[in-house]
Amino acid sequence: MTDTVILPDDTMADHTTADDVTDHESTGILSSESRMRRIVTVYVPLACFLVVLLFPFYWMGITTFKPDSELLDYRNNNPFWITSPTLQNIRKLLFETDYPRWLWTTMTVAFGATALSLFSSVLAAYAIERLRFRGSGYVGLGIYMAYLVPPSILFIPLATIVFQLGLFDTSWALILTYPTFLIPFCTWLLIGYFKSIPYELEECALIDGASRLQILRRITLPLAVPGLISAGIFAFTLSWNEFIYALAFISSSENKTVPVAILTELVQGDVYQWGALMAGSLLGSLPVAIFYSFFVEYYVSSLTGAVKE
Amino acid sequence: MDDITRRGSIGLAAGMAAVSTLATAPARAAIPTVDVKPPSLPLERGATLRVLRPVKYIDPDGVYFDLNTQKFAKAIGVPVRVDYVGFEDLRPQTAVAARTGAGPDIVLGWSDDPHLYTDSILDMTDIAEYLGKKYGGWQTLAALYGRKHNTDQWIAIPFGGSAGPAVYRKSWVNEAGFDTIPSDHGKFLDLCRNLKKNGHPPGFALGNAVGDANAYCGWLLWSHNGYMIDEDGKVSINRPETIAALKYAKELYQTFIPGVLSWQDPSNNKAFINEDISLTQNGCSIYFALKNNPRTASIAEDVYHAPMPTGLARSRPETATVINAMVFKHTKYPNAAKEYIRFMMEAEQYDPWLTATTGYWAHSLKAYSESAVWKSDPKLIAYRDGCAMEFYSGYKGPINAASGAVLADYVNVQMFAAVSSDQATPEEAVAEAERRAKRIYKQ
Repeated sequence: MTDTVILPDDTMADHTTADDVTDHESTGILSSESRMRRIVTVYVPLACFLVVLLFPFYWMGITTFKPDSELLDYRNNNPFWITSPTLQNIRKLLFETDYPRWLWTTMTVAFGATALSLFSSVLAAYAIERLRFRGSGYVGLGIYMAYLVPPSILFIPLATIVFQLGLFDTSWALILTYPTFLIPFCTWLLIGYFKSIPYELEECALIDGASRLQILRRITLPLAVPGLISAGIFAFTLSWNEFIYALAFISSSENKTVPVAILTELVQGDVYQWGALMAGSLLGSLPVAIFYSFFVEYYVSSLTGAVKE
Repeated sequence: MDDITRRGSIGLAAGMAAVSTLATAPARAAIPTVDVKPPSLPLERGATLRVLRPVKYIDPDGVYFDLNTQKFAKAIGVPVRVDYVGFEDLRPQTAVAARTGAGPDIVLGWSDDPHLYTDSILDMTDIAEYLGKKYGGWQTLAALYGRKHNTDQWIAIPFGGSAGPAVYRKSWVNEAGFDTIPSDHGKFLDLCRNLKKNGHPPGFALGNAVGDANAYCGWLLWSHNGYMIDEDGKVSINRPETIAALKYAKELYQTFIPGVLSWQDPSNNKAFINEDISLTQNGCSIYFALKNNPRTASIAEDVYHAPMPTGLARSRPETATVINAMVFKHTKYPNAAKEYIRFMMEAEQYDPWLTATTGYWAHSLKAYSESAVWKSDPKLIAYRDGCAMEFYSGYKGPINAASGAVLADYVNVQMFAAVSSDQATPEEAVAEAERRAKRIYKQ
């Protein structure tokens, strides 16, 4: 049993104040330490990452709007800032080259190849992960091995096929060849995602009499939307930036994709039209950035885990 | 079947040439020719051609090439499509055409490209001999790249070459105590030291720059009588001459503006235009970039060109990047393809194109030394003999896949860069270059 001691008001007040001061001091020190630790361990590295990741975009942006006089003369101009911004480089890009057409071609190819790859990958990944036919593990491994073959080795044999099919110098040459590296990648990504969807859900559907295709369409795919978006974004980005096939299979200037065309048109020998080149790169990266920004939450959730059992 | 004859087509071409003058055709000189009968090449019925060539150096390069192609199409009745591809991207596309047996009929490839695909391309001896006889013979470098090594068989028709002499600011060179670029190593080093002392350092590319670094390091090696490969194709870089060249390069490097070790092809253009450097080695792109910009036109007046110092070499120790037209065996219209190349090389077409390119391309046939372009601006004379030089990638050995690989791997450039930057002694650097070259040549 404890005795309750009632202290005089002022004593209690004094005591309380002394304790509070000590607590506040210790809390203050702790919170200050914690804040410092947080700055050093979180914000400083984050700032470094942001600078490293965003600086190329910043550089692209300011070079796009810099006149040649500022671009070449670093002694009299701050290289990291613009004093007389100009739209000349964008005007040149949009109105003196076939850039709008290159952008359209790139977009068509990227969407076409992504759609084709996603469709094939969903079927492949579902079959490998859920049907578990004999040798499915080896098929999965085989698809993965196909992804490891570099495009620089494949482009010449693929060119033979493209020529024989009469697809050379058309967008179809790219739409049909990009899946050679997109399907293995997307299939592996989706195999991982399908694995995380509880099998019991499908068993219930099976008991209710659903067919495999119905299960895929009504149960698995709706649950796998983040995975599909993630695979789609990867496929879209890889198609958008692809260079070697686009270079080898397309020869007409007007049918080229953005990464190849801007180099052909805006680099003349040892003279690089940096302003227009950066404008082309900036405008070319915007669709991908917009695409990412719409689906970033799905994208993150697909990488951090799927449906909880 | 072959009812359109070459002879008939020539008559038609002459008529066309008479009536269709180019609206903005540059002034032309009389090109001396010899009356020679062209080879008989009956054109295939329904022929069409696709041509792949490097992207234009300057706008008139592409404009006049296309105009000449249109003239051919109208005169001969063979539609031709010309596709342009970036300098660095031409080789993969050529490889695709050669390996798949499909694609463009004609490729204007780089210097040694035809030597990589001798099994896939047509013999061009008939056209080469006709053009050589008519236009006073082929220039030395053109013949080296056009013919199969040590034979009289032509596998390609060299269209022209882009040279890279010294580009300098005359007033600053004068201020450093010299009238022009001296021809011996010692005085050239003195010039560079004085330029640096006066605050106007020289700058030569030592990064992996296809054009400028290969040109500079080739000059260093050849002007000391060094060479990578001997006449029998044996790797011969590890010689006292190379060591001397490396020691000289190290001295020279001390006078350069900082940063040349990472320079790419556009870097010296930018530094020169920004007046950061006084002397470099380049095509005439710097001069024209300055001249064509009202803001920098005054600087262009002070810009001059000169051969790099001869040093110990017996002739000008430089080379040029040649564009070399080859016809693939997979073409359905070999005669039309050869006829197109012949047509494009004839004075009525070639001279306006050459003149319009204002020195970016130097002629491959000797008679075009009389072209108006070489009289249009005395500052361009240093570029005139681009195809007349006797040094080439892989000098003194055969031009083949290995010589191309040594160039592509920057074996020579990296050897000079390693010594210049003090990362290796001359002996270590040359031993490493020898090891790499031997691996490529499988020796």
